[in-house]
Amino acid sequence: MSEKPNPTELSEGIDRALEALREGLDARFASAATEQALRDENAKLLGKKGELTAVLKQMGAVPADARRAIGEKVNAVKQQVEATFAARLAELHRAARQAELTAPPFDLTLPGRAPAPLGHAHPISIVRDEVVAIFRGLGFGVFDGPEVEHEENNFTLLGFPPDHPATDMQDSFWTTSNHLLRTHTSNIQVRAMKALEPPMAFIAPGAVYRRDDDATHSPVFHQIEAFLIDRGVSLAHLKGVLAEFAERLYGPGTPVRLRPSYFPFVEPGAEVDIGCVFCKQADGTRPGCSLCKHTGWIEILGCGLIHPVVLEGCGIDPEQWSGFALGMGIERIAMLRYGIPNIKLMFEGDPRFVAQF
Amino acid sequence: MKASCNWLRELLPALTHDATEIARLLTGAGLEVEGMTEVGAAATVCVVAKVESVRPHPTKSGLRLVTVDRGGASQEVVCGAPNVPEPGGLVVLAPLGAHLPAAGLTVGKRAIGGVESEGMLCSESELGLGDDHDGIIVLPAGFAEPGTTLAAAEPNAHDWVLEIGLTPNRPDGLGHLGLARDLATVLGVAFSPKAPALPPAQGPDVASLVTIEVADAERCPHYGASAVVDVKVGPSPLSVRWRLQALGVRSISNVVDVTNLVMLECAHPMHGFDLARVRGAKIVVRRAAAGERLTTLDGVERELTDDDLLICDGQGGVALAGVMGGASSEIQADTTRVLFECAWFDPRGVRRASRRHGLHTESSHRFERGVDTDDVAWALDRACELTLALAGGKLAKGRLHVQGGAVSAEPSPTQRPAIALRHARVESLLGLEIPWADALGILERLGCRVVERGEARASVVPPTHRPDLHREIDLVEEIVRIHGIDRVPAIIPAIHGSRDVGGREALARRARAACVALGLSEAITFGFTREQSLTALRAPAPFVRVKNPLAEHHSVMRTSLLPGLLEVVGRARRHGVRDVRVFTVGPVFLDPGARGGPDAALPDERLCLAVVLAGDRPGYLERPRPLDVWDATGTASAIVRSLASSSATVVPAPGDAAPAHLHPRGAAFIELGGVRVGRAGPLHPDVVDALELDGPALVVELELAPIADAARVPTYAPIPKYPASTRDMAVVVEDAVRAGEVEAAVRASAGPFAEAVELFDRFAGGAVPEGHTSLAFRVVYRAADRTLTDAEVEAAHANVVREVEGRFGARLRA
Repeated sequence: MSEKPNPTELSEGIDRALEALREGLDARFASAATEQALRDENAKLLGKKGELTAVLKQMGAVPADARRAIGEKVNAVKQQVEATFAARLAELHRAARQAELTAPPFDLTLPGRAPAPLGHAHPISIVRDEVVAIFRGLGFGVFDGPEVEHEENNFTLLGFPPDHPATDMQDSFWTTSNHLLRTHTSNIQVRAMKALEPPMAFIAPGAVYRRDDDATHSPVFHQIEAFLIDRGVSLAHLKGVLAEFAERLYGPGTPVRLRPSYFPFVEPGAEVDIGCVFCKQADGTRPGCSLCKHTGWIEILGCGLIHPVVLEGCGIDPEQWSGFALGMGIERIAMLRYGIPNIKLMFEGDPRFVAQF
Repeated sequence: MKASCNWLRELLPALTHDATEIARLLTGAGLEVEGMTEVGAAATVCVVAKVESVRPHPTKSGLRLVTVDRGGASQEVVCGAPNVPEPGGLVVLAPLGAHLPAAGLTVGKRAIGGVESEGMLCSESELGLGDDHDGIIVLPAGFAEPGTTLAAAEPNAHDWVLEIGLTPNRPDGLGHLGLARDLATVLGVAFSPKAPALPPAQGPDVASLVTIEVADAERCPHYGASAVVDVKVGPSPLSVRWRLQALGVRSISNVVDVTNLVMLECAHPMHGFDLARVRGAKIVVRRAAAGERLTTLDGVERELTDDDLLICDGQGGVALAGVMGGASSEIQADTTRVLFECAWFDPRGVRRASRRHGLHTESSHRFERGVDTDDVAWALDRACELTLALAGGKLAKGRLHVQGGAVSAEPSPTQRPAIALRHARVESLLGLEIPWADALGILERLGCRVVERGEARASVVPPTHRPDLHREIDLVEEIVRIHGIDRVPAIIPAIHGSRDVGGREALARRARAACVALGLSEAITFGFTREQSLTALRAPAPFVRVKNPLAEHHSVMRTSLLPGLLEVVGRARRHGVRDVRVFTVGPVFLDPGARGGPDAALPDERLCLAVVLAGDRPGYLERPRPLDVWDATGTASAIVRSLASSSATVVPAPGDAAPAHLHPRGAAFIELGGVRVGRAGPLHPDVVDALELDGPALVVELELAPIADAARVPTYAPIPKYPASTRDMAVVVEDAVRAGEVEAAVRASAGPFAEAVELFDRFAGGAVPEGHTSLAFRVVYRAADRTLTDAEVEAAHANVVREVEGRFGARLRA
């Protein structure tokens, strides 16, 4: 049977062991080059079979009077182990982060990876949505209508006399003797006035059809009509709305000019120019650019007060109500904005075209 | 309409403005000047020169050396023209340094065959004054002193011509008088054109030369005629030739030129007959008999209808009234007796005839728009005045005028009803204060008569040259047009807003946005298409047809959006672009069927969306893979989900169930809440061939209204508070087993805690036996109110495994 150790020897032995552990501590942790090695080393000290744990196990044999002193020593060493471990671990983490940060950079010249490929709206849709949003913002609603229309709604009630040259302005495609592909979105004026009582403020975007197919004309193009009917509507109100529209679409300070013109369903009728957005020479100080044919002005739409004959035809008393209407070609606005030289490009559907917008 | 600035200044002496200013005034008054051309610019530097001597060129045959007096100095020039006049003749010399824009040259010092020439003798074409380049201009004797510039000697040698884009309501603007009147009004000056001045008539009574009978007084309410005898037909003087040339009219002869000058002046077309060729000395205006034939001046023999109005002589038709004359009675070199016709033909009748015969002429253009009813006598007198001046002769006594079918000595003036005009109405419609006197003054300067003038109201009779003025609003427009539309203020009204009616615009916009978000690009396609394409695609018939298409590929209204989109694919492939992911949104035009309401007979326009996918799926730095049927169904589902906030069901439609244009192995219907809203799949290879698409394509077709109708507002579901347990399982099933069926079985058997079932892997080959597929599902289990125990999850999942194994003979993969 073994001899029970002498308590004093035991205490001294523990002291020595602790001292030895303490002295070797820095070196042992410092030599651990990886986090795993560090943790292994830590386990050799503090694990179930660790050296410090082994020392602790001897505590039971220490006489009670000495146990407290030795216990304090053991705890001090344990804390030192933990602190040294933590410091070394932080050092290793810093080093690892530094290494990661200073590794060769990623090749950012490789193409980026989008979550999905980018789709593209057609320039006609982009412009249409913008114009519609502007008028919605002013209080206008959208009134739907068909593309195949009664002659009555497209021409007769808009004051186009039969066999009159005014209809030459809008040579038509016919589907029956009195149905045609609408030649303008102005048919919506008639439909809205027939359906509803004034006041009203509507816009109508959509495709229109004219029998015209050459270098500068497409048999299908797109218009946006806007019209407002209320009591006391005047030409001044039309000019106010036009000015607001121009500033919202083309930017603050865009000059607007009206030139008297003729459309059968408005009177007085006018064409509207905005100051050329490219050369900004509407004041005439310099001769302008090729896009505005050196005039400083670009025509963007036609407009006027709704002709009383149109109001009467739709059952609205022109003595009580008046209104204005304006209509613009979307392609023209898009072509000017994006520098598209030919309307035909809009309808070929070439993926290389639409991908530019 | 081409307008000469020289002529306008002659008619309106107050018009001292240059061409640019005149253009600005006209445009501001609604007569839009679309272009300006300088004619005969060289006439300001070229001079009149007198031939002093002519001798042959020493070395070059065909050339001559001409010595001219150029005003105080002589000079020798080399000339190749055949018509160099004898000494004493006057020619036009372009001196050294003169720039001739029409010829595109600047005269320089040249040695021709060893002889130096420091100038050239000019032809009309070199000066831009005519087409004649066969010889040099030979000026009449006494034209001007040598050394005078050509423009100083003859003002019409240099002019500015304005191209005016006249709107169809302004027939008066088709003559210089009408334009000058508007300019006078804008300038605020009185306009008093000179009346024609005729000498006493020395010829026979015109009634003795010809009789006139108008059988259709409705289509021809006025027919006037006058005559000049003993005329000498010949070329017009240079001033007339050059004026007409500047305005794009070819000079024919003095008498024919007279009719054109009068038309260009007062906008009233007229016609000159050689009386000797008017058979039976008789003019009859009547409707043609159906099938009657007439050879018009353009040499075309035309078959007439009984709607055509015909001018006849004693034996037959000589002119299509208001449109074009016939060859038989035209003025010729030997004509001595000229009968001028000036009539007023019903505009609508002229228009119908013009369109029927495809003959748009200067005459029909004016008659269609409505010429002045009351200037017949003026035009006839003017024609006679000009004829006497240019071609000599004697004026026949009197004029013939047939009005309402009856012969009268003088036409009775048209009585136009007065228009009531209210000052308050003018101001309220324009939103502009304008003094009453100013407003009425504008109307009076335009030729209106103010027959009653009250403090707030007036009665205004419009002039006969303005057939567009009928009612108060027409006068309001005239007032603002002249007063200046730029003087109207800009005021934003208080707008009583309206709500959308119909809702298609918003729906189409959302659909487009959904497609763009999915990486698709938009194409805008036409509502009409090629019938063959629709037929090849088995698109719904019958088709709404365009009666007068411009081209076969625009001849029927589409009942499917696919033809337009597939054309895009075809074109892209021909350009070498293989990858196409494109969509379009727009209506299809279906047979109306049995609908009610005022639009019952119109096509049923349904807003649709179509997608075509072709080529490779976009990837990232990896081998591209071709798009396949699941790209079509996935795209369809994603669009529906985006628009309806609820999920579509892809219902396979294999074999005979497949729509005829889709591949029978890959066709599917897209359903939403049990309603069929579209279809998706690869195009049938026969359709691919028929449309010559050069490769497969996947299509998606959706109708938008039912999707919008089924759309729901999402209801918030609480975000789970407790953790989920997921179980993955891979089962090997025979290829014939559909993944969707297995998934449905998993879902059904997984119990109430199964929150989600997802097929996350599909695999064949490798360790999976031939004829089998491995499907891997992930099932997410979760309770809303607690954390599930392992035992609960295992029990639920064991049930799934049992069910799948039992039902599909599936084998669980390790």
